[in-house]
Amino acid sequence: MMQETGQMRAGLFDRVVGGIVLVLFGIAMLAIGWDYPMGRVNQMGPGFVPLSIGVIICLLSVAIFWIDLRDETISSAPALDWRGLIFVSAAILVFAGLVEFAGLLPSMFLAVVVSKLADRTNRPLGILVYAGLATLAGWLLFLVVLELPIPAFWR
Amino acid sequence: MLEQFLLGLGVVMQPEVLVYAFAGVFIGQVIGVLPGIGAITAISLLLPVTFHLDATTSIIMLAGIYYGSQYGGSIASILLNLPGTPSSVVTCLEGYPLARSGRAGMALFTAALSSFLGGMIGVAIVVLAAIPMTTIALKFGAPEYTMLVVLGLMAASMVGTGSHLRALAMVLVGVALGLVGADATTGYYRYVAMPELADGISLVSLAMGLFGVSEVIRNAAARAQSKVQPQIRMRDIFPSRSEARTLPGPILRGAGIGSFFGALPGTGAAIASFMAYAVEKRFSRVPKRFGTGHLPGLAAPESSNNAAAQTGFIPTLTLGVPGDAVMALMIGALILNGIIPGPRLMVDQPTLFWGVIASFFVGNIILLLINIPLIRLWVLMLRVPYQKLYPVIVIMICVGVYSHRTSVIDVVLTLVFGILGYLMKNYRFEPAPVLLGFVLGPLLEDNFRRAMLIYRGDFTIFVTRPICTVLFTCTVLLIAFSIYSSISQRRRMAAAATDGPASTP
Repeated sequence: MMQETGQMRAGLFDRVVGGIVLVLFGIAMLAIGWDYPMGRVNQMGPGFVPLSIGVIICLLSVAIFWIDLRDETISSAPALDWRGLIFVSAAILVFAGLVEFAGLLPSMFLAVVVSKLADRTNRPLGILVYAGLATLAGWLLFLVVLELPIPAFWR
Repeated sequence: MLEQFLLGLGVVMQPEVLVYAFAGVFIGQVIGVLPGIGAITAISLLLPVTFHLDATTSIIMLAGIYYGSQYGGSIASILLNLPGTPSSVVTCLEGYPLARSGRAGMALFTAALSSFLGGMIGVAIVVLAAIPMTTIALKFGAPEYTMLVVLGLMAASMVGTGSHLRALAMVLVGVALGLVGADATTGYYRYVAMPELADGISLVSLAMGLFGVSEVIRNAAARAQSKVQPQIRMRDIFPSRSEARTLPGPILRGAGIGSFFGALPGTGAAIASFMAYAVEKRFSRVPKRFGTGHLPGLAAPESSNNAAAQTGFIPTLTLGVPGDAVMALMIGALILNGIIPGPRLMVDQPTLFWGVIASFFVGNIILLLINIPLIRLWVLMLRVPYQKLYPVIVIMICVGVYSHRTSVIDVVLTLVFGILGYLMKNYRFEPAPVLLGFVLGPLLEDNFRRAMLIYRGDFTIFVTRPICTVLFTCTVLLIAFSIYSSISQRRRMAAAATDGPASTP
C-alpha cells in the first residue's frame, strides 16, 4: 500500500501535466474551429469567439505550465482512487447501457450492486439486500411520487 | 416596496407553496449536515423534478435548499471538523475548538443565531435593492451586459484562494464547453462531435458530473473515519452576557461583507465567509485568540455566508446574470420552466419575483426554528456513514440526468465530466469556475456580438457608456487589487523564508 502521498513533493510529471492537458485542449479547440467563419468585427461569424477563447486558453496554459515547472514546492497529487473510479464508472455505464432496454428498476438495481463494490467492507448478501431496498425506494420516489415517464421494466 | 413584499408573502403563505418552501429548507439543512453532498448536487438532482411544479414553487424550493445548506454546513464543521459545505470551511477554525472544549451546544447556538441574523440582513438588502436594481437593469443594453459578465468572470477567478490563472483558465474552459451546439445567432453547428450534442451540453449533466460524480468517486472507497461525537447538553447552549456582547459587531460586519460578495457576480457564499473571517482577524484587538474557539471568529463567517446566499439572488433575479455556480443552476431552473430571468421578470411575473423573495424571509424563520430544537436529529444524521449513502447518490444522479432529456448520451457525458472533475481537483484545478463560465459564456458571446453589431465594431463603447464605465473601473480595480495582493503575499513569504532558516530541513 502506498501511504506516503500528500506531503510528498510532486515529481516533474505531476507538476506539469495540468498545463499540458490544458494546452492540448486549447489546440484542439483551435484545430476543430479553424474553418468556422470568422466574419468581421461589426458582423462576427460563429468562429470569432471560439477562436479567441482558444487562443487565450493556449496563452494561459503556457503560463500555468511555466509557473508549475519552476515551482518545486508543489506537493504531489493524491494517489488515484482506482477502486472508486472503476466501480462508480462501471455503475453509471451499466445504468446508461441498460435503462433503454431493461427498464428503470433492473438498471437501478444493477447500478447499485456495481457501485457498492467500490466499498471494501461489503459482503454479497448485504449488497443484495441493500440494492433491493434502494431499488424499492427509487421506484417509490421516481415512479410513484414523481411519475417520471420511464418504463419500470422492459416491454 | 412593502406592498410588493406583502404580495410575495401572500404567495408563500398558500399552504401548497409553504410545504415546498419547508421541504426546500429542510432538504437544504440535511444536505448541509451531510458532508459529501453539496447544494449543487442536491439542486441538480431536483432540477428535473421541478418540471412537474410551477416555476414559483420550483424556485422557492431550490432556493431553500441553497440557503438551508448554509445553516446545516456549520453543524458538521463544529462537531466533526468536517465542513458540510464549502462556505463552512472557516467555521471549523473556531467551531471545532469550542466543541472540543465542551461548548459544542453554545457554538451551534451562536452559529445558528448568526446565520439567522446574517440571512435576515441579506433578505432586507434584497428587498431594498430589488426595485432600484431593476430600474438600473432596464437601462442595460448589450454593451452593459457584456461588461457585467466580464466583471463576473474576472471576479470568479480573481477573488478567493488558489491560483488566479488556474481559475481563469477554468472559467474559459467552461465558456468553451458552453459553445458546443448550434450558434445562437447563425445556427451554425460548433464542436458537435455527435448528433446528440446539437442542442449543446446539458447543464444538469455538467453540474452533476463535476460536483456529484467526482465526489462519489473520491469518497466511495475511502475508509470510514471513526467519528468522536462530542456531548451536547441543552442547558449550556447560551453564551454568557459578556460573550454575547462581543457578537453584534462581528455579525453586522459579516453580514455587510457577505451582502457585498453575494451581490457581486462571480463571487458567492464561500468567498464571503473567508473574507469575513479574514477581516475579523485582521482588525481584532486579540488576533492571537483566533483558532482557539474565539466566538466573533465563528459569528462573522456564519453571518456572512448566509447574507451572501440571499443577496446572490439580486443579480440573478434582476439581471439574469448568475453570481456563482448555484445561481447558475437557479437560472437553469427558471429557463427550463420557460421563464427568462432578467429586468422584465419583476414587471412580468411579480408574484414569482416577490414570492421568491418573501420565501427567503419565511425560510430563514423556519430554519432557525428547526435548527436548534432538532439538534439531536442532525447529530444522528452525522452518524450515517458515506458508504451507506453513495450508491443511492449514484442512482439519483443517473435517473436525474437521464430523465432530464431522456438521453443516454447525457448519462455517459456526466460520467466523463465526473472523471474530469475528479482528476482536475487532484491537480489543483477547481471545478466551480467551469460551471460559471459554462452559464455565463453564451451570455457573453451573445451580448458581445450584438454590441459589436449595433455599434459597428467600436470597442470604445465598453468604456464610454456610463454604466460600462463603472463596470470597467470595477473590473480594472479588481484585477489590480488581486495582482497587488498576490505580489505582497509572495514578498511576505519570501521575507519569512529568509528570516527563518531554521525552518528549512
